[in-house]
Amino acid sequence: MRKIQRILHVAWNDLRIMVGDKAFFFWTLAFPVVFIILFGLLFKAGDSAAQEAELTVVNLDRGRWGTYFVEKIESPGIKIIMSDAEPAEYNRLIILPADFSARIEAGRDQALSFKKRSDASTKAAARVETRLYQAIARVISELVLYGGGDLAKFLDGHPEFRDLVQVKSRFPANTVTVVPSGFDHAIPGTTVQFIMMMVMIYGGITVMEDRKKGVLERMLYSPLSTGDVFRAKLLGRWMMGMTQALMLIIVGKIFFKLNLGSMPLSLLVTGVFAVAMASLSVFIGSLCAKEDMIIGLAVLLANIFAGLGGCWWPNEIVPRAVRRAAMISPAYWAMEAFHKLTFFRGGFSDILPHLGILLAVSVLLTALAGKYFKVRD
Amino acid sequence: MRRMFLVLENDLRRRLKAPLAIVIFIAIPLAMTGLIGVIFGPRAEESRLPPIPVLLVDHDKSIASKLILSSFDVDQMKKMFQVTVTDEAEGHRRMEAGKASAMVVIPERFTLDLLETKPVTFQVVKNPAEQFLPDVVEEFMRTMGVILSAVIQAFEDEVRGLRFMIETPLESFSWETLGPELGKAQKKMIAASKYLDPLLIRLKEEETKATGAKTRISRADLFSMILPGMAVMFLLFIVQTVMRDIISDREDGKLRRMMTTPLRPMELIAARLLSGWVTGMAVLLIMAAAGTLIFHVTWGPFGYFLWLSAAASFWTAAFFALFHALVRNRNQAGAFSAPIILAFSIFGGSMMNPEAMPQAFRAVGILTPNRWFIDGAAFIRDGGFPLIPILILAGSGIVLAALAVPALSRRIMV
Repeated sequence: MRKIQRILHVAWNDLRIMVGDKAFFFWTLAFPVVFIILFGLLFKAGDSAAQEAELTVVNLDRGRWGTYFVEKIESPGIKIIMSDAEPAEYNRLIILPADFSARIEAGRDQALSFKKRSDASTKAAARVETRLYQAIARVISELVLYGGGDLAKFLDGHPEFRDLVQVKSRFPANTVTVVPSGFDHAIPGTTVQFIMMMVMIYGGITVMEDRKKGVLERMLYSPLSTGDVFRAKLLGRWMMGMTQALMLIIVGKIFFKLNLGSMPLSLLVTGVFAVAMASLSVFIGSLCAKEDMIIGLAVLLANIFAGLGGCWWPNEIVPRAVRRAAMISPAYWAMEAFHKLTFFRGGFSDILPHLGILLAVSVLLTALAGKYFKVRD
Repeated sequence: MRRMFLVLENDLRRRLKAPLAIVIFIAIPLAMTGLIGVIFGPRAEESRLPPIPVLLVDHDKSIASKLILSSFDVDQMKKMFQVTVTDEAEGHRRMEAGKASAMVVIPERFTLDLLETKPVTFQVVKNPAEQFLPDVVEEFMRTMGVILSAVIQAFEDEVRGLRFMIETPLESFSWETLGPELGKAQKKMIAASKYLDPLLIRLKEEETKATGAKTRISRADLFSMILPGMAVMFLLFIVQTVMRDIISDREDGKLRRMMTTPLRPMELIAARLLSGWVTGMAVLLIMAAAGTLIFHVTWGPFGYFLWLSAAASFWTAAFFALFHALVRNRNQAGAFSAPIILAFSIFGGSMMNPEAMPQAFRAVGILTPNRWFIDGAAFIRDGGFPLIPILILAGSGIVLAALAVPALSRRIMV
């Protein structure tokens, strides 16, 4: 019991020193919050694109069909901006030529120029494009229904297109009821990324410095064994990761209405993930003798793990091979578990495989860290 | 002057003896560029996205639902969608396992209701963990719904006849009556083919820039856009590490020993500035060479790039000289330098395309070296000489150096 108390004492002291550092709150809170706002707004932009995708229409048509076609394009989720000529700034643009009506009435085919800004939202562009195809399908089916009559008189009276086949979308039963916000996606990703980065950097550097300055060696004069020191260091770094995660989750809850599903299970995932990162930080700190090396390695590993693990962008758009490679990243398993909890209202059994893999990674890294841990150079 | 070069030579030799940290810092931007390029780069196949896994639950199991299923079997659709027929329970399980973006549920009596021209509804169950692909599936199903509606309305009489045929026993059906009905259908099909082959209204798509200029981005182009941002971000990290010698030499007592030699403070400061500058140039050139060899990055005229690299490296060396003159000790330098670099990188466009950032972020971005280096590199790629970025980097670099020299002199003399 006293042994556990001593380990806890050392771990707590490590955490107290880290929290006392001026830069700690910048790194663990302020900077990740900037990231959350930035990525949250970007994802939010994607959401708002889901509500309204912009289309600029240049209707040069000298007849009546141009206006009729524009009416067919109008639908929920599309914002039509009429323009007399091609503007310098637009996201998506369609030009109805001067002979648009004449060609339809003559039964001559035509290709409408549809321009998409390469840097505009792909999602919005896809929506506008499908709505354009739907408008074309509606007009052509009305023409077929109209039969062989005089097309010049079509707009004076014709059979109207009816949407017989409709589409209703929903989320699976017992999952989310509202569309997840950009912050629901950004906060878990940023939390995972910064746990990796900060635990590895801070944890690694302090292990290295304590060893070089002889602090670890001096600890052995107390009733602590080398194993106890190792366990205390591991626990200190784990506590640091958890402190950071808790701060970000609380900020997310208060300011961004973060929804993580079951909070105890989310904390369990964070906890197991933090064990893996704590072990990695002790391992790196034991191997490296220079601060710059630790920072470099930590930034390299954290960025690669975060990029592969789906912390920065939705994994669904990633090529299959990269998604398979992502499985080597502990961040991938943590993010997948968060997805299950957040979006599918998953329970313990749903995240059990993810926890198992994260635990296995933690055990492996702890074994490695233990093997290379040393109290003196 | 000779003493200054001796210090510089000694600094560079020390760096070359233990280059691992710098090598890692050079490897990071290259790894990040590779990762982003692999994920977002254009692919050989037509579709920009991997095939979207879609589940199809068929409660109808009749002609119309089979038609829908077969429409996914067309070559172009196969590239876009990967369809698996399943039941709802299994579908939910697969979706939860991340193996499907959406599940399309075709209701019971789908075909019969369509044949009676009654409204019918597809259900598209979207994977809530995904942000993009489920919407693609929904829009595709909407388009399919429009096409099906069009076909049913255009051939309403024939569809009713088909319904009658399905429901009437074969022996009590008069085949002779089919003749005129088929004749009518033929006329409609001929009329339809007039509008469908070739399609009366088509779209001619093109990707443009704001000016309307046509663009097509290759993977090498994408790498060329990403790498300069990453390179300048890690240039800042590396030069910061080099310039930290100013403080560590003081803390370790090396500075005091050096000052007992005939070396003058100005010579030492100039040597440190030169050391940062030369290291920065070397780092940028190594990254440029690696980018060209590994990712086929195009940098534009090499001479122009050299000028831009010189200006950016000089700015970075001058900035960190001033920074290390202002901070109290090594810990403070470590605590503040990385946040500053990351802030520069976020606002300056190293981490994402400035055009995708909020307006306020972009406005702050012009105060960062990252933004000017990235803009300059883009200008060089287009064949131009980046006069304004170079002038701004060099000009502000001179101001920073002018502020750094007296501040550092005071620190050295103390």
